[in-house]
Amino acid sequence: MNLKISALEFVQQVQNGNISAEDFVAKTLERIQSIDDKLHAFLSVNEKAVDQARDIDKKIKSGSKVGACFGMPISIKDNMCIKDSKTTCASKMLENFVAPYDATVVTKLKEQDAVFVGKVNLDEFAMGLTTEFSAFGSSKNPWNTEYVPGGSSGGSAVSVSAFECVASLGSDTGGSVRNPASFCSVVGYKPTYGLISRYGLISYSNSIEQIGPLTRTVKDTAFMLNIISGLDPNDNTTIDNKNEDYLSGIDSGIEGKKIGIIKEMVGEGTDPAVLSATKNAISKLENLGATCEDVSLDMVKYSVAAYYTITATEAGSNLARYDNLRYGYDFSVEGYEFNSYIAKARRNFGPEVIRRMIIGGFVPSAGHAGKYFLKALKVKSKLTREINEAFKKFDLLISPTVPILPFKIGEKIDDPVSLFLIDINTVTANLTGKPSISVPFTISNGLPIGIQLLADSMNDKLLLQAAYALEQTTTLQEVPI
Amino acid sequence: MVTEEQIEHVSKLMKIDIDDHKEYVDKVQTMIDYFDVLDSADVESEEISMHEITISNLREDEYVPFNEKLIDKLNNYKGTYVRAPKMS
Repeated sequence: MNLKISALEFVQQVQNGNISAEDFVAKTLERIQSIDDKLHAFLSVNEKAVDQARDIDKKIKSGSKVGACFGMPISIKDNMCIKDSKTTCASKMLENFVAPYDATVVTKLKEQDAVFVGKVNLDEFAMGLTTEFSAFGSSKNPWNTEYVPGGSSGGSAVSVSAFECVASLGSDTGGSVRNPASFCSVVGYKPTYGLISRYGLISYSNSIEQIGPLTRTVKDTAFMLNIISGLDPNDNTTIDNKNEDYLSGIDSGIEGKKIGIIKEMVGEGTDPAVLSATKNAISKLENLGATCEDVSLDMVKYSVAAYYTITATEAGSNLARYDNLRYGYDFSVEGYEFNSYIAKARRNFGPEVIRRMIIGGFVPSAGHAGKYFLKALKVKSKLTREINEAFKKFDLLISPTVPILPFKIGEKIDDPVSLFLIDINTVTANLTGKPSISVPFTISNGLPIGIQLLADSMNDKLLLQAAYALEQTTTLQEVPI
Repeated sequence: MVTEEQIEHVSKLMKIDIDDHKEYVDKVQTMIDYFDVLDSADVESEEISMHEITISNLREDEYVPFNEKLIDKLNNYKGTYVRAPKMS
């Protein structure tokens, strides 16, 4: 049984009767059993996955209506709710939290007969970009297990890259889907803000975060987007995409398209290997008939500071719900005063979450708001104006997804500012609400490099067409695991 | 400059128990120092724009029952009440 097939190949093979969903899911679980000790992508595995796949096979055999996924095994970042399953956010605080309802993305995938094989690792509450801040230990990069897989959706990227599932869902607040996709050589997608419902995603920074798929191919991402996008009465930030079909016409090509190379994202601090990969990607796009030209987004220089200020503030507010009264760990209220009880319970947060809570209390507080929080919002506004201006001239923008190559586990954990700078190319899409994708492009000394493309809001379809064109220019070696 | 008193004040506001406030002075200072780059951004005249969404088709304002006793999932409850510690 070949577990290395794409989502669309899986669907076709089950439809043709070449494979059964049950066999494929069973083999996937065996694969998880045999290699996940080394990779630590999974926080929990769905013991009923094989039974669920068998039920779907029965539906296929009996000729009843079957959903578009045909029993496809999918993993999901453990900050999204699946009814009656643990949703830990990789935090001690939610170690025993069992979700009482399905996230909208989960409902939609279940309706289309996807099978969730398990919930995957992340930095605690999605705060980080390596998974090293998971309370349950770091995931490992399948390309070299001494290296970080990126984050915060690291478990998602690892599970897709190492064939422990066919596709995965992550969430992207400042690059959390695209960064691990780049580090693990898979496709990672951050849609236009509002394209995918966040109902059932545990909130971190509501104004900029989005759920996004991680897949082996660009077509698979379009396939997933067809299923999970669209209006949701339970999330009033969702937008009506009129049931757009992202897969149709994906091979339209990019002839005549204008692509802007974001100057601030290919400058100082970019690894030479990453820079040369980006130049190579640009010339390949030019060969396909696109024209590429430099464009400057001046506010990118301030984007990371603005991003951390805004996200820490929103996180400080979102984390206020963890009072250990409705959920939390078993800790009696007897003998405690209200505030001291909550403060004590919150000792269960990890160091990064505590740091961000303190920053989140500091930057919007009286005396500091003008200097930090309000200024960050102004940078966000100006950056949005700048990128809107750029999209008057260009159809797409391009940059490396991450300025550096994957690095060793532990190498940067004590240096928050050097970690900040890794986000420099990804946060712009979040702050401005634009769709953005990381396409796996090359391998340098055994470590993957991804290329990022951005498009204007609601131009997700065009973005996927360009990403598909870029993907077709490269043949990547297989992950050595 | 970030002071120990400020850390103590913010941790009280955020309701987090921290043993050693000193430990966080340097950590927060390093991060805040980096945020100072915002001072050089030319945004004084910038208006803060909000993300505007026009909502036309709001869902019906009707009660949708949740058919599960969520209270059973809590560690501390009595009847239909969440048990909380005493307010001082």
